[in-house]
Amino acid sequence: MRYSFYPGCSMEGAAVPYLKSFEAVADVLYMGLEEIPDWNCCGATVASGVIGDYPAQVLAARNLALAEPKRFDIVVPCSSCYMNLALTNKKFQDDKHFRAMVKEALRAGGLKYRGTLKVRQIVEVLINDVGIDKIRAAVRKPLAGLRVAGYVGCQTPRVFPWQFDDPEQPVFMDRIIEALGATPVKFPMKARCCGSSHSLTKPEITTGSGYNIISCALEDGAQVIVTPCPMCQMNLDAYQGMIKQHHQLKTEMPVLFLTQLMAIAFDLPPAAWALKYNIVSPFEALAPYGVKP
Amino acid sequence: MTEPLKYKTEFAEEIYALENGPYIKKCMQCGMCDVSCATRNEMDFSPRELFMLLRTGKREDFFKANTMWMCSTCLMCKVRCPRGIPLVDVMHDLKSHAIRLGYTDPPQASFYQAFWQEILGRGRVFEGGLMARYYLKRGWSEIRKGFEMRDLGMKMVMHSRIPIKPPKAIRGLKGMRAIIERAQELTQKEGR
Repeated sequence: MRYSFYPGCSMEGAAVPYLKSFEAVADVLYMGLEEIPDWNCCGATVASGVIGDYPAQVLAARNLALAEPKRFDIVVPCSSCYMNLALTNKKFQDDKHFRAMVKEALRAGGLKYRGTLKVRQIVEVLINDVGIDKIRAAVRKPLAGLRVAGYVGCQTPRVFPWQFDDPEQPVFMDRIIEALGATPVKFPMKARCCGSSHSLTKPEITTGSGYNIISCALEDGAQVIVTPCPMCQMNLDAYQGMIKQHHQLKTEMPVLFLTQLMAIAFDLPPAAWALKYNIVSPFEALAPYGVKP
Repeated sequence: MTEPLKYKTEFAEEIYALENGPYIKKCMQCGMCDVSCATRNEMDFSPRELFMLLRTGKREDFFKANTMWMCSTCLMCKVRCPRGIPLVDVMHDLKSHAIRLGYTDPPQASFYQAFWQEILGRGRVFEGGLMARYYLKRGWSEIRKGFEMRDLGMKMVMHSRIPIKPPKAIRGLKGMRAIIERAQELTQKEGR
């Protein structure tokens, strides 16, 4: 298995623990990752709101063009990056007029895309390419008894509804949690919005959503939340102090990237857990599994 | 007695001409977007109501509404709309059109512009740079609000979640800008 890897801007900043744990986990699972050379920002949820959909999708397509010579599927961990790259790629393949327009714009930068690639979401790749059996076989330290709320986030299951899961109550990530020996809790808020970039412009939205999401996980008895999305992780982890200030949150809730939990269950070295980056301490919840600061 | 509602098509035609504008015509006012929206409580008008403002030609109310700026792109309405309207994409158009026309009072409009400047500046987004650009645009009142979030910022720094140094600009920055410029020219040529 070889993949072109699109890390996205967040992995160079707030989502560093995602990058570190993902690279380590990918190594164990023999997923060869080759970073797309000189990749640019996917536009996030923002570029299209400034310059419009088509120019923003051309910006995303530059990455597809840079990845095409390698001919591997592109694996994308961040949900927004996945949305932009995957939707652009699909439109490029389906819509003749759009394809011609993108090709012409790319030419201005000396680039060419033929539309031969697939854009893949990280959890979907873990399940469909790597496979649950291989993940289970890599577990050295089963997380028996750990109750985990799998927070898929909003965009991942809804970019292509029903393509790999239910857009509102997805279960695919729970299968990985099970494979690690842990118990996924029901958690009906698993695909609700975390408040996204309102965290800067109107933090009350983020703290309100965060409160609802964490409360829901607590009610279902979760000890930790895991997520594959950098924005969700930051809004629930870094903003949890503010959530506690404004709402009556019973207890603290550690929020890990899915790959951090995988690195722990695979019994990789602590550097691969990358837990020093987590703001809400996960050490109490994970102490029974030998996880110490 | 209230006056019967009259449709005024002039303003609507302007919006229908945007990239995803034609989809709006399909709205049957069912309200599925209202009940699906994660930020409906924050909106002056729900998406459904916004489309009604459009049909009745209430231009100022339309652009001064915060509806499009409150959209967090969670895609729930897009998934559920029984008419298949990609509401999120429509909101993109409305945001960029509002910016073009100078309706940039909402803080989100400044955030969007700051983010875009960050992309154009180095090809990637550096959180520190984004925040600096945003607060500079918003001025003192917002800086004071940002100051209330200093604990959070300190925690992010202590846990090495905000790099001190911005990343280098991508090597192909000039090419990237040329690509965007060309795309914008083509958009204009298409009359959007």
